[in-house]
Amino acid sequence: MMIYTKNTRNMVLSVLALVSIGTLMVYSSTALMSMRKYGSGFHYLWSHLFTVCAGAVAMVAMAKLDYRRVRPFIYVLLGISLVMLLLVFVPGIGISANGARRWLKLWPTTFQPSELVKIVMVIFLADYMDRNINRMKDIRFGILIPVGVMLFFQAIIIQQPDFGAVMSLGVLTICLLILGGARIIHIGGLVLFSLPVIYVLLTSSTYRMKRLMCFVDPWKEPFDCGFQLVQSFIAFGKGSLFGVGLGGSRQKLYFLPEVHTDFIFSLIGEELGLIGVVVVIGLFIFFFKKGMDVASKTDDPFSYFLTFGLTMMICIQAIINFSVSTGLMPTKGLPLPFISYGGSALLVNLAAVGILVSISMKNDNTETNAVRYGEVDMSLNNYMRRQR
Amino acid sequence: MSRRRQESLYTKKLWDENPSEIPLKKSRKRAVVLVTAILFAFGVITLRLIGLMVIDHDKLSERAEQQYIREQTLQPQRGVIWDRKMREMAANLEVESLYAVPLKIKDTRHLSRKLAPLIKISSKKLNKTLLKKKQKEFIWLERKMDKAGARKVAEMKDRFSYGGLGFLSEAKRYYPKGYTASHLMGFTNIDNVGISGLELHYDDYLKGEVSSVSVNRDARGRSLSGGIKDPVPGNNLVLTIDEGIQYIVERELAGVMKERKAKAAVAIMMDPATGEILAMANRPTYDPNHAGTFESSARRNRAITDLFEPGSTLKAVLAAAALEERVVALNEVFDVSKGFIVVGGKPVRDVHKSEKLTFQEVMQRSSNVGAVQIGLKLGSSNYYKYLRGFGFGEKSGIDYPGEVKGILRGIDQWSGTSIAALSIGQEIGVTPLQVLRAYAAIANRGAVMKPYIVSDIISPSGEVIKRVSPEIERQVVSAETAETVTDILKMVVEEEGTARKAYIKGNLVAGKTGTAQVFDHKAGRYSRKKFVSSFVGFVPADNPKLALIVVVYEPEGSAYGGVVAAPVFKSIIEHTLAYMDVPMERHENQILLVSETR
Repeated sequence: MMIYTKNTRNMVLSVLALVSIGTLMVYSSTALMSMRKYGSGFHYLWSHLFTVCAGAVAMVAMAKLDYRRVRPFIYVLLGISLVMLLLVFVPGIGISANGARRWLKLWPTTFQPSELVKIVMVIFLADYMDRNINRMKDIRFGILIPVGVMLFFQAIIIQQPDFGAVMSLGVLTICLLILGGARIIHIGGLVLFSLPVIYVLLTSSTYRMKRLMCFVDPWKEPFDCGFQLVQSFIAFGKGSLFGVGLGGSRQKLYFLPEVHTDFIFSLIGEELGLIGVVVVIGLFIFFFKKGMDVASKTDDPFSYFLTFGLTMMICIQAIINFSVSTGLMPTKGLPLPFISYGGSALLVNLAAVGILVSISMKNDNTETNAVRYGEVDMSLNNYMRRQR
Repeated sequence: MSRRRQESLYTKKLWDENPSEIPLKKSRKRAVVLVTAILFAFGVITLRLIGLMVIDHDKLSERAEQQYIREQTLQPQRGVIWDRKMREMAANLEVESLYAVPLKIKDTRHLSRKLAPLIKISSKKLNKTLLKKKQKEFIWLERKMDKAGARKVAEMKDRFSYGGLGFLSEAKRYYPKGYTASHLMGFTNIDNVGISGLELHYDDYLKGEVSSVSVNRDARGRSLSGGIKDPVPGNNLVLTIDEGIQYIVERELAGVMKERKAKAAVAIMMDPATGEILAMANRPTYDPNHAGTFESSARRNRAITDLFEPGSTLKAVLAAAALEERVVALNEVFDVSKGFIVVGGKPVRDVHKSEKLTFQEVMQRSSNVGAVQIGLKLGSSNYYKYLRGFGFGEKSGIDYPGEVKGILRGIDQWSGTSIAALSIGQEIGVTPLQVLRAYAAIANRGAVMKPYIVSDIISPSGEVIKRVSPEIERQVVSAETAETVTDILKMVVEEEGTARKAYIKGNLVAGKTGTAQVFDHKAGRYSRKKFVSSFVGFVPADNPKLALIVVVYEPEGSAYGGVVAAPVFKSIIEHTLAYMDVPMERHENQILLVSETR
């Protein structure tokens, strides 16, 4: 029989809290838009709730599954992600919106393969680093192969284009390589080497250059490319300590573009104030802490890397999203995990939580079993604590 | 999954069941760094949020208010102008105006090239404008476009899916009768502000009240609050003009312009009893719907703004003055056999030589020599008094902008020849309206009326705000004198008179011709080729209902008022009487004017 501990439960509860806040804010941000577009204020809300349910199913399924069984199929998963990524470019199957091709038609909804790539990449790296744990110091195994895989996927994703996904994938990979034992000097070299590449990428396109300039000083052209950021600032500024009240936002009345997806954090700021955003950040930190707790209890590298990777995947996306909406990072389209409207990300993130739960429960059960059968030396203290 | 495969999976040992402790130890150390980095990032974000939400709160909130509230002006409907039978003379049309939001336009070059031919400006200029106003949220590109043009632009906008272009509905002033009464109407500028004619004079009444309200709005400019005060529409005008008569007058003027190749022509019709203007027309003319495309000379209301020397028409004023002052008797005889008379060293000549003429005959035949003799008998100061009395040298006070008072020198500035010149209608500058008004006074038993064009001002809800009633300025001569002068004027259009061409069957006309030479300022003397022909009179003579003046400037060929202007007068009156359902019966000196009791 599987049992779960307080730690697992708390992690799930923090996710549940975030999803609840998200659902509330998705409704708040879309009610009017939905009313004008579909004649009912609930169109987006129902769609979001559907995804939440699907995500919950995925989470439970992942929690019940022994995550280690995924390992033999990792290359299959990579292959599936690759095919899906490429299918996006096939007319008829791929869907484009706002000048980007990111979605696959998947009746009755759509799916964004770049979200799948993130989690598959984490699993792949965890598996890869575990198998090559003694060779990570070698630049070939520590850097060239994993970064090669990363660049391969990034190269495809950038065609969509989805800079948010490219960026989070990059940061995630580098964090995992640091963790996996690659030489710091190699990683430093990699970063140094990538700087001129990024510079060339930026300056080669006047469009991207302009976006960057607008990020540096959005007030210079508050109606042009600085518009989104300025509107986000205004939303936060209006929120002050306690916010204007739930549903009271005026920034969501088309002033703040992408208010239900990439800029939902600004809406939380406006409606719920500093209190609201600190609670959201706090929940993410709490989730992070719980993820780290799970990691600290794992004793095999694959589980460890996987736990760390999945927790980081979610938190890094949150950090990028926060930074973008507060003007600390250039504008990138990236949803806020658990909160933003947007099916694929929510589904994938909840599935990731499911894997974390699975790992956590395995830990708990190993410990419990160990204690029960006396196979592993467990400290009495731990045992006593659990009994209380 | 089969049992065998499951076993093989586990036996393959894809992962180490007893992981080495050393690498993970290192990983856990490194994890501390990463965890710290993540927490640090969360910390930085929190600080940033405090900065935005607490420190910048006031600044950003103010900024927010600025963008939520937009001062919106709602343009009122301009008042409608009706003729006396409530026919629409000026109305409003909903038309589309094209605007641009330059900062939303990405490729100004492409847009300029495609758009320019449709809105009649060069693509270079359009591109320049768009680039110059790049930061602007709103500029007009083309105001009040016609339907076809607006449709073309809309089609192009859809085809290239341009953002940053849009249409706004605006009310455009529209004159359904076009050229008819265009000088009276005047016109408005693109912002519906009256800039000439009645549109200018009554602008305060017509324009209505702009309502300026602060509206809460969303980013797409939709207003959110419901209770917006509607702008107050302008008041409507009812004119004394009758569009039917106006049309007749316009048509006849056009005819004489063509026939005589004249430089210009004016006709005014007035109800002598009230001073109501029934028609007022000018040639050359213009269409107020496209006022900008006409020269300013075509837009001038010469009837009120242009001076001419009246010539013989002024002799009626002389006659009235002489009779009122009793310096002459009706049958007094004047010797005009010499054919000229010298006053102050300058001769005045007659056109047709006669022997002896009675006072009445002097008028009937328009003898210059006789008139001068009457003038001399009357004396300068008396004549001046009556000239002023009949309204010369002063504005008539008509409700129309730009009226001139004419030139009538004060008596102290008169030279020795002035009395002679004035007796035959020279040395004086008058407007056609002034002459008509003087004749209307004779028709109206000596009472000088104030002419007017607008009879009622009606509020949008239909109540009368202002009703103009006829206004007597003064009684310039006695009723008897006026009647006597009328009798004399009747003779003018009879067999022996100068204006037989104005004789109308069944309805007796009283009137006088005028032929004045145009003073050539270059040569410093009267031109021998340029004349102003006029005819002024009223009908029916014994119970005058219509007073009309026709002035033809510089006709080619014959210049005599009796030849040029009198037929126009006759034609206008005949058609007007027919229009007014007055039966034209042959009846000795009997006027059958049945309808039209105003």
